[in-house]
Amino acid sequence: MGPQAVLSHLHRADGSATYAQNGYSIIGSVNGPIEVLRRDELPEEATIEVNIRPAIGVGSPKERHLETLIHNTLRSIILTRSIPRTLLQITLQVRSLPEEDASTGVSTSLTLLPHLLNTALLSLLSASIPLSTIVTSVLLAIPANTSTPVCSPDPKELLRAKPIRSIHVFAFSGDRRLLLNESDGTFSYDEWEEACELAEDVCCKEEGGVGLGEGMEVDGPQDNMESWLRDVVKRKVEQEQRWRTAD
Amino acid sequence: MPREAEVSVNERAFILEALQENIRLDGRAFDAFRSLELRFGDEYGVADVQLGKTRVIARISVDVTVPPPERKFDGVFQIVAEFSPMASPAFEIGRPTDAEVILSRILEKAIRRSNALDTESLCIIAGLKCFALRADVHIIDHDGGLIDASCIAVMAALQHFRRPDVVVEGEKATILSVREREPIPLSILHQPLCVTFSYYEEEEIFLVDANLAEEQVRQGEVIVTMNRHGEVCQVAKYGGATIDPLAILNCNNIALQKVKDLSKLIQKRLEEDAKQRDVGGLLAELSAENERPMEPPVG
Repeated sequence: MGPQAVLSHLHRADGSATYAQNGYSIIGSVNGPIEVLRRDELPEEATIEVNIRPAIGVGSPKERHLETLIHNTLRSIILTRSIPRTLLQITLQVRSLPEEDASTGVSTSLTLLPHLLNTALLSLLSASIPLSTIVTSVLLAIPANTSTPVCSPDPKELLRAKPIRSIHVFAFSGDRRLLLNESDGTFSYDEWEEACELAEDVCCKEEGGVGLGEGMEVDGPQDNMESWLRDVVKRKVEQEQRWRTAD
Repeated sequence: MPREAEVSVNERAFILEALQENIRLDGRAFDAFRSLELRFGDEYGVADVQLGKTRVIARISVDVTVPPPERKFDGVFQIVAEFSPMASPAFEIGRPTDAEVILSRILEKAIRRSNALDTESLCIIAGLKCFALRADVHIIDHDGGLIDASCIAVMAALQHFRRPDVVVEGEKATILSVREREPIPLSILHQPLCVTFSYYEEEEIFLVDANLAEEQVRQGEVIVTMNRHGEVCQVAKYGGATIDPLAILNCNNIALQKVKDLSKLIQKRLEEDAKQRDVGGLLAELSAENERPMEPPVG
């Protein structure tokens, strides 16, 4: 099942989105560009602040680590130089995690990361923050018994496929460039390359009709993150432009 | 960090003048709550409260710890309410605003100190093991009335929550997972709920459930916490202006009516949710709980 998204549903924040997939549900909000504290002010670009709030308890080093990863990824796609000396406040509140999340035996920060990134992007889009490109992210797991990677696995699938040899998170920009890669476990370079190619196919739209992902069409309509994203934004724009089309 | 945008002088005058003519900005009666929506999550112990435009999510979680040595027979219960920039850019992480301090203090007084939850029932082995219950309050959207909404969310979540069952053999305690034994509800002694009154014009006008704009122009507030049996758990007054004792008594009367309505609504939602979960009527059979009289005796 593909991810679900609701855009601009909070009334105080400048932009907001709720994203849900495979039992992960995250609420994201963006405030910006707003006034920045003197000590955080950068003379030539905007300051980006990412806050991740876990469902239970207060932020731990795990959240700080994820914040750094997301901060660095987003900084490369937000046109920070066009809104200098301002602040972009991105808050990601984890609403619910799947029950099996802790028992899959893989790093829980990696399983959460792609969802956080996707939520952050949706919130940025909802807040109309200037971006140079989009980012789409996906999780891949390579089970120990086979070498074919499983794409955005359900936590239940991970439990069944246990033990997992390695998991990978890839994030691609709209022009098919790798923005972020976090991997955990043991894997060979070939395996990583295969996983990377698969992730690219899932994250990015096919270029000019060249059948890169022909193998994927066999097992039903594979979720493509970019076309999904376009769909979400299209629906939102249609919703907002209703007053124009109505006669 | 930007400050909360204050209402303009014109807006302030407009709201106050309208109140003089017995009109609220959104057309509600002076003693009316905004529309209240209460939803429960897929898991136990998650309550999502939407009060007008204010949205609060409360989540209960449980852990096993060693009880503090001075309270050997009690479990641990903690309410954590931390504001995030999601609700308003004026809220900064790690630097609590006055509103945040007041909210956590009121929740502490209203729910924890009024013994709404029987902490003794959280004890597993005296002095060795107990459940540590934690209520996280997430403010998602802020349009005033945070205290009322948070209190509703925490109480609803507490009533919705089920803790895992334990088997104790001597000094050995085994926590049974959801698959092994049906989890059991917490023992809630009473259900305190908060009603906030904002007063204006030298305590001539009292408003129930003010929204953010109304909160910003008020002279002060009185927060009354009581349960549906009319037992007052706490009364707090903030803001400089003085207030007549008789007015507080009047507030209590209104609060009782509101609390009764709110409890009824929470109860209704809980029953609806229970019916949804109880597919095929299996829960009664699975339940490991002894039957107890539901109504606590009224003193």
